[in-house]
Amino acid sequence: MIDRAFGRSDRWLLASVLVLAPFGVLMVQSATGSSLAAADAITSQALRQLAIVVVGIAAMLLIARIDYRILQRIAIPIYASTLALLAVVLLLGVAQFGARRWIGIGGVTVQPSELAKLALILTTAAYLADRPAHTRPLFTALMLLGAPLAMIVVQPDTGTALVLSGAWLGIVIAWGAPWRVLGTMLAVAAALTPLLFAVAVPGYQRERIAVFLDPARDPLGSGFDLRQAEAALRGGGLTGRGLFGTDSPLTFVSARSSDFMLAHIGEALGLLGATALLAIFALLIWRGLSTARTAPDSFGRLLAAGLTVAIFTQAAIHIAANLRALPATGIPLPFVSQGGSSLLVMCVAVGLLQSIASHRTPDARDRWNARRWH
Amino acid sequence: MTRWGRLALLQVVTLAVFALFAVQLVRVQFSDEALGPAGNPTAVRSISVEAPRGLIFDRNGVPLARNVPRFSIIATPARLPAEPDDRRAALLALERETGIALRTIEDAVTAGLASSDPFRAVTLRTGLSTEQAIAMRAALASLPGVTVEAQAVREYSSGDLLPRILGYMGAIGVEDVGSYLDAGYPLDARVGRTGIEQQLEQELRGQPGRRLVVTDPTGQELRSLGEVAAQPGADLTLSIDLALQSLAMDALARGIAGGLTRVEDDPDPTAAGAVVVIDVRNGELLALVSLPSYDIDVFTDHSRGDELRQVLTDPTRPLVQRSYMEVRPPGSTFKTVTGMAALQEGVATPDTRIISRGSISVQDEFNPDKQYIFRDWAVLGTLDFYGGIAMSSDIYYYYLSGGYVSNGERVFEGLGPDRLASYARAAGFGETTGLELPGELAGTVPDPAWKSEVIEQPWVLGDTYTFGIGQSYLAVTPLQMAVSTAAIANGGDILVPQIVRAVNDGDTTVPSTPEIVARLPVDDEHIAVMREAMRQAAASGGTAASGQPAGTTIGGKTGTAEFGKSNVDGEFPTHGWFIGFAPYDEPEIAVVVFIHHGVGSTHAAPVAHEIFEAYASETATVAER
Repeated sequence: MIDRAFGRSDRWLLASVLVLAPFGVLMVQSATGSSLAAADAITSQALRQLAIVVVGIAAMLLIARIDYRILQRIAIPIYASTLALLAVVLLLGVAQFGARRWIGIGGVTVQPSELAKLALILTTAAYLADRPAHTRPLFTALMLLGAPLAMIVVQPDTGTALVLSGAWLGIVIAWGAPWRVLGTMLAVAAALTPLLFAVAVPGYQRERIAVFLDPARDPLGSGFDLRQAEAALRGGGLTGRGLFGTDSPLTFVSARSSDFMLAHIGEALGLLGATALLAIFALLIWRGLSTARTAPDSFGRLLAAGLTVAIFTQAAIHIAANLRALPATGIPLPFVSQGGSSLLVMCVAVGLLQSIASHRTPDARDRWNARRWH
Repeated sequence: MTRWGRLALLQVVTLAVFALFAVQLVRVQFSDEALGPAGNPTAVRSISVEAPRGLIFDRNGVPLARNVPRFSIIATPARLPAEPDDRRAALLALERETGIALRTIEDAVTAGLASSDPFRAVTLRTGLSTEQAIAMRAALASLPGVTVEAQAVREYSSGDLLPRILGYMGAIGVEDVGSYLDAGYPLDARVGRTGIEQQLEQELRGQPGRRLVVTDPTGQELRSLGEVAAQPGADLTLSIDLALQSLAMDALARGIAGGLTRVEDDPDPTAAGAVVVIDVRNGELLALVSLPSYDIDVFTDHSRGDELRQVLTDPTRPLVQRSYMEVRPPGSTFKTVTGMAALQEGVATPDTRIISRGSISVQDEFNPDKQYIFRDWAVLGTLDFYGGIAMSSDIYYYYLSGGYVSNGERVFEGLGPDRLASYARAAGFGETTGLELPGELAGTVPDPAWKSEVIEQPWVLGDTYTFGIGQSYLAVTPLQMAVSTAAIANGGDILVPQIVRAVNDGDTTVPSTPEIVARLPVDDEHIAVMREAMRQAAASGGTAASGQPAGTTIGGKTGTAEFGKSNVDGEFPTHGWFIGFAPYDEPEIAVVVFIHHGVGSTHAAPVAHEIFEAYASETATVAER
């Protein structure tokens, strides 16, 4: 049974998620439990996170067992319904923190932009899988990206837009898009950025970028979070200040358990804890790309590349923002940060990777792994 | 490059990115010196910075309230050396430099709050001069935990001229703690108490700034991260003319002293009075005097506790600003209101003639055998309307207010109490004027309904008579009297008296605008008749002639209101009143004088006389410039 369940799937991928997700529950508890409440009381946020983790891991195991190849046929309906949902958000969505990203369904709010990550990757991979690496299909694929991207930028949700773009780029690189065309596209995108910045970027986002470039500009407002994140990391030192009870500079940062999760981990567990976390992510990404390399068919390869690069992009943006290498964009750390939609989508992504891995063509390295684990 | 190679390349690139993150993590966590020495847990704190409080000036730019630095020697017990020997050496050095006895210092830094919170600063000495502060700062530079700090304190230069109007700065009152905390004040904030300081606290305070600093575990500031500048409070220009205020206070003091010489059988008479000078064109108050007064600093100068105790327990109640915080019967000055009501209602015309034979008798309403006698102050003969005001005939006004029935025959139809009360209210009595200062009283306008409810007795004709001449239950503030006099002078506008002339918040000056709450329901021609009657009263031979200044024609009216208990001869003590406006042709100011023990024409009017002359000479000086 266990052999059937995990079969030939990738044990490193599985292990990464099984470490990261429960670790996330612990860190959410640590970030949301105040020293005022009883230390042993589990917070409602942590409890909710635990429930989502259980559902997410179950979903991952389930999806790992289906044949990913059936998805190639239903990619178009999934893509179309996601676009419809995004349109609904724009029209009726619930605004939170100055952005319109959520829709409420019976008391639960879901974020269609998270769903859009899966839909876009699936559709782009399905479309490009059977086409030669020429310029024309590349532009069609660019339009596949353009539609959801536009609606997400307008929400506005810059972080998700970046993840979508990153995943798309990962797929077309794996597909074999000519470097010259890709280079031109990136150059045009870079040239258009200032224009887009002026027209489409909301005031708060512009302010965040300005503050990132000069935190002293507004030390008590937007710059405050950045300062506090930095102060928290400094406070963590080598081994951290412990999970519970210490007075943290992050106390007054609202998104401590989501957008500033890495800073919180760095403070609680120090350089050692944060580095270990980075290592687990590096392993996860590495194994995801290996899955792409060993995928049995073109669709599987592109799908795996897109999913992995999506996870990578999201993790990288979160980490970079926390380490003051990028402006804060408000993006959760995959698997670890508090938040339902993101976590579930990430679990589905790894489930799909597992499914692809279980169909892979054995190579020498995997045979070695197989020996070691069987 | 093969497609497999591309994925391998992605693997390498992503791994490299994570490697860079690891490097950045180490940099942020260890080698970045921006936030203080490595490995030292720091905290970021937000410190509130109070804005400089707005200044207060009189209408001519004379400063009334300023901010001055007060230098204090402050010790923080926790930062003094911990070793007993070092500590003793440091405190000995402190004793040597400052002359404060070692024992005193020891007690200060170990007692009270300092013992439970060693970071709490202890003030060792305060009130250093600037020179002393500089010298002391240099001398104490090498002593840890001891500093010389400057604190902004309020300084008032007007002594006892405006204490109640300006207010003072003090700790938050117990009853106001909640609302001040909600407004973002720290618990130990100094806030405006009473007067302008309280009333315009929000404008004067400005917007406090914030400073974000990095501190070490002991709370010592390591580095400033940034600052949101405080927005200084707005400067206020009051309508008060300090020179006129001062002159009016001196004149009033003489008037009060004069009134006291007449008091014979009261062993402890109240030496009190008030003056209001108002600009009849816009309601600006040029002077608002109350006696007895007190020095404005007694509430804030802790070395003057004895004086403060005296102020608080003085039976003449110096804390009561008598121009708007005390109500008294206005006496014959109120005949101006009764007179205008009678003209407007057709009860009287300028030609209405009434004979004063010195008294009239009225039959008791319930017992026909009983007669009441209502006296005039003298036998005045036949008077027309102007004569009624000029000679201040009480009988003339008994007729106008209550009418007269002689031998069962109604010979004169009066206003009656309800109509009289409605005109009194229309002239602003019985209600606060809207003055922007705390503590204003509304006073009382009586009528039959009021009497049956409050006194629980039926209204009788005598009540109407005494109401008509401003006696018995009618109670007004000098400020209300000033507003109604101004309305006579300016043709009927009931103005809100203005104390703040302009608010200057640094960029813009917002002048206060005249505010008309109502108009007297009296036609212009009738108001003009009253002005003429008041001119005759203040002219030679009139009862208010002693208010007439040299060189200017005014309109005036005196009042002498009986109050309290009569003496053995049946004589009552009296309040002295004067109301007037000048110049007669184009009125600019109205003056109201109230003297607790006095006679209107003898004691109150001469005070106004001095004020009118001072105002005229000041205006002339300004015109020359």
